[in-house]
Amino acid sequence: MSDKPAGQRRDLKALLAQEAGKLPQPERRAFLANGLTLAGGAMLGSATSAAAANLPPEVPPWTRSVGRGVVTVPYGMPSRYEQDIVRRTVPWLTASAISSISFTPLHRLKGIITPNGLVFERYHGGVPEIDPAEHRLMVHGLVDRPLIFTMDDLMRFPSVSVIRFIECPANGGMEWRGAQMEALQFTHGMLSCCEWTGVPLATLLQEVGVSAEAKWLLAEGADGSGMSRSIPLEKALDDSIVVYAQNGEMLRPEQGYPLRLLNPGWEGNTSVKWLRRLELGDAAWYHREETSKYTDLMPDGRARKFSWVQETNSVITFPCPENGLKQAGKYEIEGLAWSGRGRIKRVDVSVDGGVSWRSARVKGLILPKALTRFGLEWDWDGGPALLQSRAVDETGYVQPTLAQLREARGVESIYHKNAIHTWRVAEGGGVTNVQIE
Amino acid sequence: MCRLSRTFVGLCALLAGSACTPEPAQPPVSVASGSGAGTMAVAAPPETTPSATRIGSTARNIGTLDDIEELSVAIAAERRPSGYFGYGDPATPEQIAGWDIDVRPDGKGLPPGSGTAEQGEALYEEKCSTCHGVFGEGEGRWPKLAGDEPLTGERPEKTVGNYWPYASTLWDYVHRAMPFYEPQSLSDDEVYSVVAYVLYLNELIEYDFELNQSNLAAVEMPNRDGFFVDPRPDVVNAVCMEDCKNPDDIRITWDSTELGVTPTQHFQDDVADAAAPAAVASATLDDAVGQRVYDQACKTCHGPGLAGAPVVGDAPAWAARRDQGLDVLVRHAVEGFQGEAGYMPAKGGQVQLGDDEVAAAVSYMLQNSGAAD
Ligand code: HEC
Ligand code: HEC
Repeated sequence: MSDKPAGQRRDLKALLAQEAGKLPQPERRAFLANGLTLAGGAMLGSATSAAAANLPPEVPPWTRSVGRGVVTVPYGMPSRYEQDIVRRTVPWLTASAISSISFTPLHRLKGIITPNGLVFERYHGGVPEIDPAEHRLMVHGLVDRPLIFTMDDLMRFPSVSVIRFIECPANGGMEWRGAQMEALQFTHGMLSCCEWTGVPLATLLQEVGVSAEAKWLLAEGADGSGMSRSIPLEKALDDSIVVYAQNGEMLRPEQGYPLRLLNPGWEGNTSVKWLRRLELGDAAWYHREETSKYTDLMPDGRARKFSWVQETNSVITFPCPENGLKQAGKYEIEGLAWSGRGRIKRVDVSVDGGVSWRSARVKGLILPKALTRFGLEWDWDGGPALLQSRAVDETGYVQPTLAQLREARGVESIYHKNAIHTWRVAEGGGVTNVQIE
Repeated sequence: MCRLSRTFVGLCALLAGSACTPEPAQPPVSVASGSGAGTMAVAAPPETTPSATRIGSTARNIGTLDDIEELSVAIAAERRPSGYFGYGDPATPEQIAGWDIDVRPDGKGLPPGSGTAEQGEALYEEKCSTCHGVFGEGEGRWPKLAGDEPLTGERPEKTVGNYWPYASTLWDYVHRAMPFYEPQSLSDDEVYSVVAYVLYLNELIEYDFELNQSNLAAVEMPNRDGFFVDPRPDVVNAVCMEDCKNPDDIRITWDSTELGVTPTQHFQDDVADAAAPAAVASATLDDAVGQRVYDQACKTCHGPGLAGAPVVGDAPAWAARRDQGLDVLVRHAVEGFQGEAGYMPAKGGQVQLGDDEVAAAVSYMLQNSGAAD
C-alpha cells in the first residue's frame, strides 16, 4: 500500500490509462448510453420531453399506475438510480484483487451506519465461502478447559450489540508525501461503521478459564491467508467481541461470515475475520502481520510495533471532490469524526485553510469508537476556499496537522495518518484534494 | 473499562468481580469545554447555544444511550466461573494438533523436520519465483523477499533480510499462507527447505546449512532490535480558533489532480449510468461477467504472462490455442491444466467461481486476443 516512487509516477499514469481502456461495468454502461444518446438526435429530444412530462403540473406515470408487488425482490436492493454508489478500488495499489482493498463511498452515506454491502473490503487471501454448520471456533493454549464451539454454541451465549467503526490503518496512507487520491472515497474510504452483535470475548475466556500466566492471545482466521494477530489479554478482556452479526443480519462473507473478532478502536487488521482459533499464550507471536506489515517505519530506520489504536480523525464529506458546489449560497458542510480512544468531544471547521475555525454541530449519536456526524452551516460566496475539519476526542487529543505528523514520523510509516485534511473549493465550485503549508 | 453514570451505581454493584467502578456524579457539562460527549441527539456548538448543552447534561443524568450500551456489554461479560454455561465440546489433543500451526520467536510451535537452501532451490523456483522473482527481487508488483538496502533511505523496500526481526515469522507465514494460490500445501520439510532458501537469498545462512526445529529460532536476523513499542500519542496540536496562521503564508504544496492517477470517471461523467436503457445493460452483461472474473481471477497471470500463461492480447498465442476448440479451453480453465508452458491452476485457483463464470472469462480473454468466433 506504499505510494510509488516519483520515477514510477509516469508509469502509473500509463498503467492507469490502460486500465481506463477497460472501464468497469457502470462506466461502460454510462459510456454506451452517452454514445447512444449522441447518435440519435431524435432520442435526445424525446428524452428531454419525457422528463418534463413527469414534472408539475403533469402527473407522472408512477402515480397513474401501480408498482411491483411484495417479494418481487425477496432481498431488497437500493433503487436503480443509486447503482453508482458502490465500493471501488484503485487497481494499481496491489498486485492481485485477492489481496487487495476496496473503499467505502463515504461521500454518499448519511448518518453513521455503513450499509452492509458498502463496508470496505480488505482481504489477504480472498473471501472464503464457509458453511456455518462446518465452522468451528477453537479456544485453547493456557486455559483450564480447551473448547471447540459451533456457531449454535456461540449464539447461545448472552449477546451484546455495539456500534463501532472499523478502519484500516493504511487509510490515507497513500498521501504521506503528497495528495494523490482524487476522491474522498479513496482518501478516507477504508473506514466503515456498523452495529455489531456477538459474544464479549471476556465471556468466552471465562468459559474456558484463562491461566494466570496467559498474557496474550493469538487470533487466527480460517481463510487462505490464515490471518493471525497477537492481542494482549487486557484488550481481549476489555471490549473485544466475537461477532456474528452486523447491522441486524448475519455477517457478510466479506466481513468474516460466519464469525469474526472485533477489537473496537484498533486497526482493522486485528479484527480477524473468519475467526477459527484463539490461543492463549505468555508472549506475543510476532507474525507477519505484526512485523513485516502493520509496523510503522521511522526516519531513523527503526519501527514502531504494536501500533494498534486508530487515533482521532475527521474528514469533510460535503463538499468533497465527488460532491462539488453549484451556485453561491447557503450550504451545510458535513463530515465524519472518529476516535479509537473513545467519544468525539468536538469538531471545528475552517473554510480559510486553518486561519480561523468555527465549532461544528455534532449530530445524532455520540458513541465511543464510532463514527460521529458533524455539520456546520456555511454561506459560500462563490469564491475559492480551503476547507478543513479538526476533531477532539474525550481524552483531549486534538487531531494533528500533516506537518506535525511528518515532523514526528517522517513519510515512510504508511499507517496511521490521521492528519487534518484539506479540500480546495475553486471558483465555480469544483473541489479537489490538496495539501497546504 | 466500565464508565457508568450514577444512575447505574446500584446495577454496577451487582456486577460482582467486574472491573466496574462507577464514576462520581457528573458535573454539568461546562460550556467552555464544548463537550458533546455522552449526549444523544443535538449536542450544541459550545459558544452558540448553551441551552442545548443543558439538554445534553440532563440526558446524561437519566442515563444516555451509550451508557446503556456499555452497561449491556458489562452485564453480558459479567464474571462467571469457567464452564458456567457448559457450551462447546472439549478440544481433543488431535483436534488441536491439526489446527495449532502458529510458531513463535522462541521456536515454540515448530514441528520436527529440516531442510537446506540447496534442497529448497528447485522448490522455490517452481513454486515461488514466478511471483517473488528468481532472486527474491519480486516480479512486477508482487512482494520482494530479498535485499539488504538500509531502512533509512528514500522509499526503502522492506524485505525479509533488512526488516523481519525473527526467522520464526518466515516459517510461520510461508507454512500458513504460501504459495499464494495453494496455502498450507507444503510439507514441513518443504517449508524448512524453502525458508532456508529465502534466508540464503538474503545471505543470512549458507547454502548447505540445515535448518531444523531446534536451530531456526537461533538464526539472527539483522533487524531483530529494530522495533520499539508504539509511543503514541506522539504529537500535540492546539485548539486554536482565531488568527491561527497568517493567510498570506498559505501555500498549496500538492494538488492530487496534477498527478491524475485515480479513477474518477464515475463522478466526473455527468451521465448517470442508472439512466442507461436496460437493453444496453443486458447486451453487455456476459461481457461484464467475463471481464469481472478475468480481472479478479485470471489477470494476475494472463495480464503480464506470469508462470508461462499466454498473455491476453497476444493474438498468435491464442489463435493456436483456440484451434483446440472452445470447450477444451473452458475445460482446461475449469479443471486445471499442465501444458508445455506451465501450470494453469483450476479456475485460476479460485474454486468458488462457477463453471459458467470461468467460461465467460475464457470468452472475454479470447475476444480481447482477437481469437473469438
Ligand atoms: C501467485 C503469486 C505468489 C506465489 C507463487 C508465491 N507468493 Fe508469496 N506472496 C504473494 C503475495 C500476493 C503476497 C502478499 C500477500 C498479502 O498481501 O497478504 C506474498 C507474500 C509473501 C511473503 C511475505 C512478504 C512480505 O514482505 O511480507 C513471503 C515471505 C512469501 N510470500 C514467500 C513465498 C514463498 C516461499 C513462496 C513459494 C513457496 C511464495 N511466496 C509463492 C504471492 C505469491
Ligand atoms: C497462476 C497463474 C494463472 C492463473 C491465475 C490463471 N491461469 Fe490460465 N493459464 C496459466 C498458464 C501457465 C497457462 C498455460 C499452460 C500451458 O499451456 O502450458 C494457462 C492457460 C490457460 C488457458 C489455455 C488452456 C489451453 O488448453 O491452451 C486458458 C483458456 C486459461 N488459462 C484460462 C484462464 C482463466 C479463465 C483464468 C481465470 C479464471 C486463468 N486462466 C487463470 C496460468 C494461470
